[in-house]
Amino acid sequence: MGKKILIGGIGNVLLGDDGVGPYVARLLEARYEFEDGVEVEDLGTPALDLLDRISGKDAIILIDSVEAQATPGTVLLYRKADIMCQVPAVRMDPHSPALVDTLHSADLFGIAPTDVLLVGVKAESFDVGCRLSETVAACLDQAISVVLSELERLGVAYERREHPAELGIWWTSDEKMEAPLVT
Amino acid sequence: MAKRITIDPITRIEGHLRIDVEVDNNAVSNAWASCTMWRGIEKILRGRDPRDAWLFTQRFCGVCTTVHAMASVRAVEDALKLEVPLNAQLIRNLILIAHALHDHIVHFYQLSALDWVDIMQIPNADPERTAKLAESLSPWTRNSRNEFKAAQDRVKAVASSGQLGIFMNGYWGHPAMRLSPDVNLLAFSHYVQALEYQRKALQVVGILGSKTPHIQNLTVGGVANAIDLNSATALNMNRLEQIRVLLDEVVQFINEVYVVDVCAVAAMYPDWFKIGSGVKNYLAVPDLPLDSAGSAYDLPGGYIMNGDIAGTRPFKTASDKVFRDSVTEDVTRAYYQGGKPLHPWKGETEPEFTGWNGEQKYSWVKAPRFNSQPMQVGPLAQVLVGFAQGHPLTLKHATLAIEKVQAIGGIKVTPDMLHSTLGRHAARAIRASMLSELAQKHLQLLTDNIAKGDYTVFNQPVFPSHEVEGVGTHEAPRGTLSHWVVIKDEKIKNYQAVVPSTWNASPRDLSDARGPYEASLMNTPLARPEEPLEVLRTVHSFDPCMACACHTFDPSGRQIAKVKVL
Repeated sequence: MGKKILIGGIGNVLLGDDGVGPYVARLLEARYEFEDGVEVEDLGTPALDLLDRISGKDAIILIDSVEAQATPGTVLLYRKADIMCQVPAVRMDPHSPALVDTLHSADLFGIAPTDVLLVGVKAESFDVGCRLSETVAACLDQAISVVLSELERLGVAYERREHPAELGIWWTSDEKMEAPLVT
Repeated sequence: MAKRITIDPITRIEGHLRIDVEVDNNAVSNAWASCTMWRGIEKILRGRDPRDAWLFTQRFCGVCTTVHAMASVRAVEDALKLEVPLNAQLIRNLILIAHALHDHIVHFYQLSALDWVDIMQIPNADPERTAKLAESLSPWTRNSRNEFKAAQDRVKAVASSGQLGIFMNGYWGHPAMRLSPDVNLLAFSHYVQALEYQRKALQVVGILGSKTPHIQNLTVGGVANAIDLNSATALNMNRLEQIRVLLDEVVQFINEVYVVDVCAVAAMYPDWFKIGSGVKNYLAVPDLPLDSAGSAYDLPGGYIMNGDIAGTRPFKTASDKVFRDSVTEDVTRAYYQGGKPLHPWKGETEPEFTGWNGEQKYSWVKAPRFNSQPMQVGPLAQVLVGFAQGHPLTLKHATLAIEKVQAIGGIKVTPDMLHSTLGRHAARAIRASMLSELAQKHLQLLTDNIAKGDYTVFNQPVFPSHEVEGVGTHEAPRGTLSHWVVIKDEKIKNYQAVVPSTWNASPRDLSDARGPYEASLMNTPLARPEEPLEVLRTVHSFDPCMACACHTFDPSGRQIAKVKVL
């Protein structure tokens, strides 16, 4: 068995671009097969429970929307050190307390993964709805390729599925994304 | 001259709770609780299939996923007058209990203990003496000198590195911190151990729900767990045994560590039985149904007005007519359009942001009211309501805790003292030990029912063509949760969630009555107003979680709270 790796999408699937993390995780799962030891998870908006998820992992790759001085749709990469000593005035992401707290706790208990990569996507809109903005939707492939090259760097094998799987309730079809109002 | 202090945000988990207090002569003279982001997520449910609603509602909040899923299926079942099979009730109950045990442990240790425990005193502790003290309090086998030494070494390493990590924001050395170094070490060692036991409780949720944080096994009409004693992948006796082992460990931690620690903190901070009362109207709904029809419950519900415990009115069912008819939401002081208070089935969520103004509108949280009154919800409400009704399980565990506090600190706790900051912590610990007993009971009920040959888990829902209304309630870790649904032509016409933190964090209403957080902060003494530790103690005692009330948007994890003194 190879390295233990968590690929986790973080964010709220009901709040527009906040769902980009879970979306990328789901796309990866649907399109690729990974070697044993790799978990791909839609983590939703975890708080301190994230500690349980990362405990015992060699590496974690998290995908989340971030608040940063950048154009919407920009993909930004952060490593462990960037997260643990945040540059003041940079709002890392909506779930920072969870992520920052978690990494500090993991450090205190000696269970922090060696390799941490946060793939951040600068969001455009957090309006209620299970739909990504066009700007963020356009950078999904870039986010995916960043995750894949991190896996290559870690020496982890993956393969493209011949028949991609269904995406699931959140993004099955366009009608499902936005409910019509009943009056 | 009063000075204004703003604390924003105050939750250490997701959310955006802001507290403003005016301080006069080192005591709080006025208070406002507000939520700083809008969510309005319920709109997403309109027009959808009611059978799918729970999949969406469990995404309201990443902390309380399960509870919103459960309230949602119950709301639809109530609207359809659909009973669920006994197996399904028991499986749901076990998930709810395990989730609550996890939540109560995390709340006390990870989210509020450091309001009372001074980490920076730990290097001065003596692990040997700590072990002796611990032994006198509890039979817990991990209260050894070696465990305490290891915990102390961890803190020493962090303290000497100058990189305080997760401890960089505490009010260390604050004059309101009063535990001895040994007790601080004892509590911190349990803070570390708590992480293991909350995880075991979550594993139970994972086994029955097939996944955490988002369970997969619910369905309107029951659960989707296949029960088959001959299949390795279904719910079988091995799985049930696995659950029993996990629950036993969690239960032991609750009884020998959590309850004891809360009693010890109570015994050492007795003045906090006099601080933080506020709204003395309490509301709790019955939960943990014992039959398909939901006619008997293991947790009692009811309401108390003006602290009149003897005058408690019980709720017979989880969707009692009095409850259904008495809830409204008031937007007088919240950033929404609208006039008079509306019943949730008629609820509207049209934003009208005007900026924080303590004299007018100041919060994104609506003000839920019961018979036009603000209500406090949470474990304290449930324990008081049960206590008043002579509910045997409540009396048993409340008495045990009261005796423990007396044994440690020589303080006689009366029910009246529970209207306080410490009362909320004590009630949560009492509820956790009640739930511990019920965890084992409900697992046995499920095992026995399966052994009898009943494998039924699901009743098919039938949708009428006319409009129907339903309410689904759950007595969640933070208190009474209710989901209100209106269904027409198999589609959701309206949906409102009235969540525990909106009851407690509610702003003022049209008659200017303060919500529970606000009222509880009045007259709180502050040793150092610029370090308002005392405010955090009281607000944290409610176990706030604002994520389901509003969008999560915390600026950074570097601070417990931004404190601004004006």
